[in-house]
Amino acid sequence: MKAMLLAFVGLISHGSLAAASAQVENQCLTCHETLGDKPSELFKHDIHFKKGISCAGCHGGDSTSDDMEVAMNPKAGFIGVPKGDDISRMCAKCHSSAAIMVKQYNSILPRNQIETLWESVHGKLSTTGKERIAQCTTCHDAHGIVSTKDPASPVYPLNVTKTCAKCHSDAAFMRAYNPALPVDQLDKYRTSVHGIRNKEGDVKVAECASCHGSHDIRAASDVKSKVYATNLPVTCASCHANRAYMKGYRLPIDQFGKFSKSVHGKALLEKHDLGAPSCNDCHGNHGAVPPGVESISKVCGICHALNADLFSSSPHKKAFDRRKLPECETCHGYHETVAATDELLGVSPDAVCSRCHSPSKNPKGYLVARTMRQLIDSLEAAESRAAVLVNEAEQKGMEISEARFKLRDVRQARLESRTMVHSFDEEKFRAVIEKGLGVTSAVSAEASDAIHEYYFRRWGLGVATLIITVLAVSVFLLIRRIERRQQQKK
Amino acid sequence: MKARLKKLYDWVDERVQLEDLVEFMGKKYVPVHSHSVWYYFGGVSLFLFIIQVVTGILLLMYYKGSESLAFESIQFLMSKVAFGWLIRSIHSWAANLFILAAMIHMFSVYFTKAYRKPREITWLTGMLMFFLALGFGFSGYLLPWNELAFFATKVGTDIVGVVPLIGKPLMILLRGGEEVTGATLSRFFGLHVAIMPGIFTVFLTIHLLLVQRQGMSEPLGVEANAGEEMRTMPFFPNFLLRDLLLWLIVLNLLAMLAVFFPWELGRKADPFAPAPAGIKPEWYFMFMFQTLKYIPAQVLFIDGEVLGIMLFGIAGLLWMLVPFWDRRSSRGERNRVINYIGIFAVIYIIVFTILGWAS
Amino acid sequence: MRDSGKIYTQPTLSPPRRRDFLKYFLGGSLIAWLASVLYPVLAYLKPPKQPEVEISSVKAGKLSEIEKESGRIIKFGTKPVILIRTAVGDLRAFSATCTHLDCTVQFRKDAGIIWCACHNGQYDLNGRNIGGPPPRPLDEYRVIVQADEVLISKKG
Repeated sequence: MKAMLLAFVGLISHGSLAAASAQVENQCLTCHETLGDKPSELFKHDIHFKKGISCAGCHGGDSTSDDMEVAMNPKAGFIGVPKGDDISRMCAKCHSSAAIMVKQYNSILPRNQIETLWESVHGKLSTTGKERIAQCTTCHDAHGIVSTKDPASPVYPLNVTKTCAKCHSDAAFMRAYNPALPVDQLDKYRTSVHGIRNKEGDVKVAECASCHGSHDIRAASDVKSKVYATNLPVTCASCHANRAYMKGYRLPIDQFGKFSKSVHGKALLEKHDLGAPSCNDCHGNHGAVPPGVESISKVCGICHALNADLFSSSPHKKAFDRRKLPECETCHGYHETVAATDELLGVSPDAVCSRCHSPSKNPKGYLVARTMRQLIDSLEAAESRAAVLVNEAEQKGMEISEARFKLRDVRQARLESRTMVHSFDEEKFRAVIEKGLGVTSAVSAEASDAIHEYYFRRWGLGVATLIITVLAVSVFLLIRRIERRQQQKK
Repeated sequence: MKARLKKLYDWVDERVQLEDLVEFMGKKYVPVHSHSVWYYFGGVSLFLFIIQVVTGILLLMYYKGSESLAFESIQFLMSKVAFGWLIRSIHSWAANLFILAAMIHMFSVYFTKAYRKPREITWLTGMLMFFLALGFGFSGYLLPWNELAFFATKVGTDIVGVVPLIGKPLMILLRGGEEVTGATLSRFFGLHVAIMPGIFTVFLTIHLLLVQRQGMSEPLGVEANAGEEMRTMPFFPNFLLRDLLLWLIVLNLLAMLAVFFPWELGRKADPFAPAPAGIKPEWYFMFMFQTLKYIPAQVLFIDGEVLGIMLFGIAGLLWMLVPFWDRRSSRGERNRVINYIGIFAVIYIIVFTILGWAS
Repeated sequence: MRDSGKIYTQPTLSPPRRRDFLKYFLGGSLIAWLASVLYPVLAYLKPPKQPEVEISSVKAGKLSEIEKESGRIIKFGTKPVILIRTAVGDLRAFSATCTHLDCTVQFRKDAGIIWCACHNGQYDLNGRNIGGPPPRPLDEYRVIVQADEVLISKKG
């Protein structure tokens, strides 16, 4: 076996015409091969070897000499095994140089790999203080480096998970760098659609690098990270919204478009509200699957807690379960969830209640829906009337910050009533609405008092002006009379 | 009724000899000529000052001069106190009209050269009162502790700080520290309601006593071309009643301004907030503020801002001392240069004020 | 002053009745004018219903009336403030405006947290955001107890 392998290697090193001229002189390999060490064995598969780069390219020395004293003489530049950051620097010596990569090897590989690596979380973190966590060889291997498109590469889509997990699934190792980081990402990944298909050999599904990047990996909390909450939808969409790429997967490609128009998407992408859900908040991140019919209300309930609670204890819960209707989604949709308006409630054509509740088939629910809508409409109308009065009073220059403050309570009551809709209980709902109506009438009263005060001021001014005018005219007449008398005296 | 009043008058007269005063008043005459209308602006200024004193005292009943309460107390005054809005708006409007009336009074005295001998002291006290009035405006502006006032004060005191040598210590003295803080508010409050009114009253007393003692000045030109004796009108009651009539009209105007254009309160000052756009000083500081903007940053080794302030300082000083260097007017001769300087000043102020508001 | 000239040249006609009218007008309007000046001034001086500005600190009620493990919303100027009394009897006050979308927060006895009903925002009893969407903690207010009276004031 060994002999056969040696013979095979010999064939490549001596017989191969393409590499012949360069390889003939690689005396390092000739000797090390006979030693049977692993590096020399692996190196013969290495892309660098195939391109004619000798051992001296990384280790220094003179690879053309068969004299060990000469070949491995430090004076000839021999450095032995590079350590720590020197490993990556050694790679970058060629990989960052346009003169070498483009002119000599006609390569289109990016030449900023070392910069991006050293800016990444792997380049910045260090436990020893001397070297960075990851060097080029950490992921690409040292002697058997092949193209990333080669299935043998440790960073080939089907292998990359194992490569990353080598460190990231090792709790003992990770503790030294980031004890708070979970180490179960690969396990979770294997439960996801991506992970399952990846295992089956699908190279197109997302693996670690698809979402986290390769050389430029940053912590998820870094705003420049591809998986930072506001960047994630674009990252997911780079595959999921790509028609050509998603061909053959029987999946829609409009999720991103719908999401960015939804109330959540606008909050996240336009207002940069990190409280708003990104893709992973509903689908999970490493264990990404669409939430099922049962779990959807739990997923929404993470944030919309009261609504989910109220819904679960409402009569709708049973009815939905029986019909296998997904809970929140049935009325609110999913990716395109728009801001819920009062239009959803009631029996009008836009309302969702009437989809199930018709006057003939389900009159009780129909009536409740209609009453609830009337109630919330009346509160909204009262609120806007009050707001108009407050605005008018303010425009008239009246100081009514107190009424403005109370208007907040009205808004609060209306929000509360919209939550209370999910109890689908008319009495509970009415109680909230009436609380709001009470505050509204107090606000309206205060505002109209202020408006009356405004007109009172004008009337007061009118009266005062009249009095002053009469007084002024009287004084004027007095002056005339006095002066006439003075004239008469003369 | 009449008999009783007479009795009361006699009672007082017996003790303080009112008769002398009445006789003095009866002999006082006001010249009547084509420029007589300007005589009224002194009276209007006086009336507006009285309004300021009265409304100012009323405001003191509710105002609280501290950083945490100043804004809120004005808000309270405007919303909860009956007619609080009226008192505050009148105080604010009257302040502006006062400065306007005083300005007109000053320029009319200047152009008619009424400052000439023997009325130099009247002019001097008048000018000092005018500077005090500007100080009243500047300090009073901060008292509501709103955003605009806060930043206007910051800029205004910064300008003081630019003056060489005395500027920096003066600025710290004004601000009560390095920055505009609650300490500044307390200082400005003290200045506005105690120190400046005290000084003002002294000048005002001298000013009014001198006016009564020396009578109204007759313009040079008018005196010359009237061959016969000057036409006059008794100060009491003719002129005084006319004064009162005008005061009534001014009062009505103030009430209208207060009702139709109530003085706004704005937002509470937040020292850590960024300066809002469009901070402008009160209109009567505008021409100086605008000039400082136009002066280049460096003029012959002198900082532009310093130069501007020095120039305004010197101009103000020369203006105040005009009776002492304008010898010709005092001798009763025509002095056209004075008129040209005055016209230049008026045009300059008007143009730069407009430029300031337009920008 | 020009009109004074006019006055001198006007023919003299003063019927005795007009004099009475003028007196009547002058006296009447003078009294009315005095009233119109004095009325606002006196009304201004009359103490308003709410006697003082109370913005820098507000009374939140009696200590003996505030239960342990309870929270209440108190109006502080134009903003709501939540006053919490913990299980051990500590008093704390925070701005009651959720830092996420300005809803008003509430105390939840069962969970021992300050909670926002709108999007399940959670704060611990030190006002720190511990769960849900809120991006930062609630602003803290100072609580002072004088005798039995609980006062809330702005910090710093």
